[in-house]
Amino acid sequence: MTAALGYRRMVGRRWIVLALLAVLLAAAVIGDVVTGASRLGAWDLLSVLISPDTAPAAVRVIVWDVRLPLAVMAVLVGVSLALAGAEMQTVLNNPLASPFTLGVSSAAALGAALAIVLEQGLPWLPAGWLVPGNAFVFAFGAMMLLQFMSQLRGAGVDALVLFGIALVFAFNALVALLQFIATETALQQLVFWSMGSLSRTTWPAIALLAGALALCIPFSARATWKLTALRLGEDRARSFGVDVVALRRGALVRVALLAGLSVAFVGTIGFVGLVAPHAARLMVGEDHRFFLPAAALCGALLLSLASLAAKAIVPGVVVPVGIVTALVGVPVFVLLVFGRGRSA
Amino acid sequence: MSMRTAMVTRRRALALSALAVASPSLVRAQEPIRVTDYLGREVRLARPARRIVLAQGRHLAVLNLLHPEPVSLVAGWADDMLIGAVSESRAYVRRFPQTARIPVIGRSAQTLHLEPVLALEPDLVVMSGGAGARADVMTSLPLVRGLEAAGVPVAAIDFFYDPLANTVVSLRTLGRLIGRERQAAALIALHEAGIARVRTAIADAPTPRPTVMMHAHAGGTPCCNSPGRGTFDGFIRLAGGHNIGADVLSGATGSLSLEHLLTVDPDVYVATGGSYNGRGGVMLGADVDEAEARASLKQVIHGQKLDALAAVKNGRAHGIWHGCNDSPAHVMAIEALAKWIQPGRTNDLDPTRTLTTLNEKFAAVPLEGTYWTSLGSA
Repeated sequence: MTAALGYRRMVGRRWIVLALLAVLLAAAVIGDVVTGASRLGAWDLLSVLISPDTAPAAVRVIVWDVRLPLAVMAVLVGVSLALAGAEMQTVLNNPLASPFTLGVSSAAALGAALAIVLEQGLPWLPAGWLVPGNAFVFAFGAMMLLQFMSQLRGAGVDALVLFGIALVFAFNALVALLQFIATETALQQLVFWSMGSLSRTTWPAIALLAGALALCIPFSARATWKLTALRLGEDRARSFGVDVVALRRGALVRVALLAGLSVAFVGTIGFVGLVAPHAARLMVGEDHRFFLPAAALCGALLLSLASLAAKAIVPGVVVPVGIVTALVGVPVFVLLVFGRGRSA
Repeated sequence: MSMRTAMVTRRRALALSALAVASPSLVRAQEPIRVTDYLGREVRLARPARRIVLAQGRHLAVLNLLHPEPVSLVAGWADDMLIGAVSESRAYVRRFPQTARIPVIGRSAQTLHLEPVLALEPDLVVMSGGAGARADVMTSLPLVRGLEAAGVPVAAIDFFYDPLANTVVSLRTLGRLIGRERQAAALIALHEAGIARVRTAIADAPTPRPTVMMHAHAGGTPCCNSPGRGTFDGFIRLAGGHNIGADVLSGATGSLSLEHLLTVDPDVYVATGGSYNGRGGVMLGADVDEAEARASLKQVIHGQKLDALAAVKNGRAHGIWHGCNDSPAHVMAIEALAKWIQPGRTNDLDPTRTLTTLNEKFAAVPLEGTYWTSLGSA
């Protein structure tokens, strides 16, 4: 009787955490949208949204091509990277697993570098899509390679993580090689790409990433209890009837899609995929019904705040959001870790 | 002394003096050359350099303005120009096919190694100065130390970091080192006259000056790379404009946000371009025709969502060849900028005339292509 009550209380508390995160995220997104280099306030924004035809062209461009797409992309990329990181940490049973630490970002960087430096890419892509197209193909390919390794007999989860780390080093070396032979302009382009920036965002890119999320989330939702079971150990999960291999395969495909697309569109943004899941775990625990949405909300919140901060640091100048993510994320993370230390 | 030896000696002396009368420069050429480069380092050569290693390949474009056979002087080079200025390189290869066979010893001064440079047995190595370069820093570079220890003279020139201060002395240095003082002096005169014309034209221009957005390498990266307080900033100021990048960027270059650009809404918009091999960007430089340049400018402005800028609507959006940021040919770019920024005061400026003079009187490989363009009124 008391156990059931305790459980219900715990679930209630987790719902409250999720609701709080959602409210914070909404505030951060609104803050992100109303902040910018111009003095355009909330009221001007609303009037442009309500009657776009009466607004001056420059204001229209600022709202529709700068503020809104960047704010939306920050949320989508935050959600995607955090979900990818959360599922990776669970299926690989490793707290350091993330798209960044296991080679997705490095692979994407290699793809982008090939497009930028050697102008080599998929032949049927239009010019503007060459770099993201290449980045995605490489990121997806790297995850599929990890996937393939995970199915080899005898390759344990730890071997997989080590293999991912080896991939990071291999891709980084190849990127460095390309940087070495690149022209100054190509090098500048590549360095800028790898710092991660939301300013590349276009509406078609947003539509693609939103589509991928819509495709992946139902599968993640269906897998939540299996993922929770997996946290108890692989053998225990098997005893519940969970097909661990299939579960891992599904998760890695989702990770490849979400992380690959995110990195392709905004470049390297580390930290979110690693830290958002940890923050979520500290707040709601291991139950994936709460853990996954909390991680997604944390990722979106982190990237929205980073996007806001990127605009506030030097007015008029774009500070690449990849740099800011870590600067914003580290204090948040340290606070969380210390907070847990006290309550434990 | 036998009669025969005396005759020979006298004959040789006669021949030598006849030679000296006929060609005083030949005798002078035998005197050692001593010149002080822009860093204040003294460079000595026994005779004009004929086997030069260019630590920055793009400096071939400077030799091109000083010598009728520029490629014949180059014993080895970094391949930054071959890779980065593709259509310019093609023009050189067309005129001097051996351009394609110059030994490549690296990509830039940072990647040059002593041994391959020494293996070419150069009689001069030309280095490009760095930002805030100083003589002691240059001399302490391992490459330069090694070259000097091996007895290979090293000279530094700069048309990139502080072109307005260093162009004249760099031209004088290089002209002297290759025995082309007179052509260097003529080029310096052209340069100084051009700069003086611009200064005179905008001397009494009112302040505040028109605001200028210089969109560096427009199109390749998200909007908008801009010079800060370096590179093109000096050109813009000289041409009577105010570089909006310098207000917010403290470094030499940086990135302005699209929103900032749309909010400041500068009076003049100038994109820089080059040959980007279809990587997107404003097509300018050798072998580019006017229509192609203008079409690419239009496309970049549209693609970067800059149509709403007043400068674009008012026909004050232009494109300029980025390559002039490392060449004394920048004088024509400054004239073009001045005409765009201060249209009422600059009627006697004629960048096309400067380009024609450069081609007729100086360039071994003429600059044939489109080096600036304007969008025209929308």
